[in-house]
Amino acid sequence: MKSYDRGILSRYDLQRTPNKIVYGIMLLVITLMVCSMLYPILVTLFNSFKNNVEVNSFPPHFLPQKWDFTTFSKGWHYIKLPLFFRNTMIIFAGNMFMTVIVLGLASFSLSRLNLPGGRAIGFFFLAALFIPPTTYIIPNFVNLKNLGMLGTFQAFWLPAGANAFFLLLLKNFFDGISMELFEAGRMDGASDLRLFLRIALPLSVPIFSTLAIFVFSTAWNDWFWPSMVMHTDQKRPLATAIYNYVINVRRLDTNVKFAMLTMVMLPPIAVFLFFQRFIIRGLHMCGVKG
Amino acid sequence: MGSIARLRKYFWGYTFIVPAAVIFILFLWMPIVKGFVYSFYHIDFVKGNSYVGFGNFRTVLHDPDVWTAVKNTLYYMFLCLIIGFWVPIVFAIAISELKRFQGFVRVAAYLPNVIPVVVLYGLWRWLYDPVGPINATITQMGNDPIAFMTDTRWSMVSLVFMETWQQFGSAMLIYLAAVLSIPRDLYEAAEIDGAGVWKRIRYITLPFIRNLIVLLFILQLIATSQGFQSQFAMLDGGPNNATLTYALIIVKYAFTRLDYGSASALGVLMFLVLGGLAVLQHRLSNNREGN
Repeated sequence: MKSYDRGILSRYDLQRTPNKIVYGIMLLVITLMVCSMLYPILVTLFNSFKNNVEVNSFPPHFLPQKWDFTTFSKGWHYIKLPLFFRNTMIIFAGNMFMTVIVLGLASFSLSRLNLPGGRAIGFFFLAALFIPPTTYIIPNFVNLKNLGMLGTFQAFWLPAGANAFFLLLLKNFFDGISMELFEAGRMDGASDLRLFLRIALPLSVPIFSTLAIFVFSTAWNDWFWPSMVMHTDQKRPLATAIYNYVINVRRLDTNVKFAMLTMVMLPPIAVFLFFQRFIIRGLHMCGVKG
Repeated sequence: MGSIARLRKYFWGYTFIVPAAVIFILFLWMPIVKGFVYSFYHIDFVKGNSYVGFGNFRTVLHDPDVWTAVKNTLYYMFLCLIIGFWVPIVFAIAISELKRFQGFVRVAAYLPNVIPVVVLYGLWRWLYDPVGPINATITQMGNDPIAFMTDTRWSMVSLVFMETWQQFGSAMLIYLAAVLSIPRDLYEAAEIDGAGVWKRIRYITLPFIRNLIVLLFILQLIATSQGFQSQFAMLDGGPNNATLTYALIIVKYAFTRLDYGSASALGVLMFLVLGGLAVLQHRLSNNREGN
């Protein structure tokens, strides 16, 4: 009976002229949408290959008329990109460690070890989901200052461990692992720590890859918090450096500016295209819980 | 079971929780509690804090800029709804009907989400420039150029367009998954009963994703009520305070006036309003899981 896939429209619908017209308009609008999504990204790329006269000419061209490849080396030497890149990676690694070990252990214990009082403890963690982060952004800063952590990487790493949303995702994931595996492990005399390291962690590679992408995009994106808690360039991440020295600076040549934006934009795009599957799945989990 | 045996049995379980509990207390609950405490103090890192009662609340409630910020935030939330909220729903339904290139369109729609926001700011400042590509198109069509950033009537609208461009893809993918999960037989049956295309969308597709729409609606309200980063980065609240949002004025109280007490008071006021919304969202998302 059902020999073809159908959606809202069936094959029969598309034989009628008014529907055809609407479907045609729909295709046109989707095409326009795709173009307007891709145009700014491509224009960033192409602007970085124009010379500075052309990039400022009016009306702007899309493709460069003369390709200029020197902008990238100029941009590379304009600020210490490797240093800022290293800082971003240090922040990412520390945040990831906090997520895997601190949140991983806690959610494993809450999900699988049947602690007396576990529900109350779970509530203590998850109640944080209700609290909008902007409302305590200033006390958080003052708190870090009082703890003497301003200007250290701990100012990123430790607050990153207080992520109730990640805890919830991990706990839900551990809830789905079959209990027999752990019981078998326990029969063989494995300790709780061993159960976590040898059974729970290897089985949760998918969830940790999804979280890794979230953590990476936060580390790569966040410019505001680092600009508050870091006062020297020595430890600032890439996004803050770009904000301070590229976005907020008037003297820098526009084409070099775009070359630097391109350099910052391409790694996350590459990561996205490579790990699409995990990202889309992560998004669905977000859809279930905000 | 004796208490020693019990302790031994659950020792590691509790130990695993300790690091996370310490971190949550130190970096989440303590700042939140301190926010309430600080709102009654004048914060001075050198001379020490002094109690001022409701002084901070009086300061902020008598500041006309705060009321401008409240108005701007409501305007910003409203613009995000009328410009941004319906877009992902429409595109999700349209894209679900694509027979070819669906994967490509999905990736293209989500791609702006992946761009770092600092790149977004640099890029859109150029796009919105008085002599940028958008104004080039407008003048070529014979209209006057628009000062997207510096005209108070346009500045907030321009920011909302920029953010919609960047963010609609993620909401679209969430809706798309829901639309694609609707059983096809329903459409088949409706068609046999003589329902046209619009009726099928109106009576099958939309009711099916209704709860999701409500949920994302509330999530968007919670998120946009806290918006300040693009307003801060693109325009620093200007021109003439036209993009000064509530969260931005919190940041300005703290880091421009160094009045951390009043900034905390503003945070507390926001907490009271948004806490209610968050509880509502929790209720609704629980209902949705129950279905």
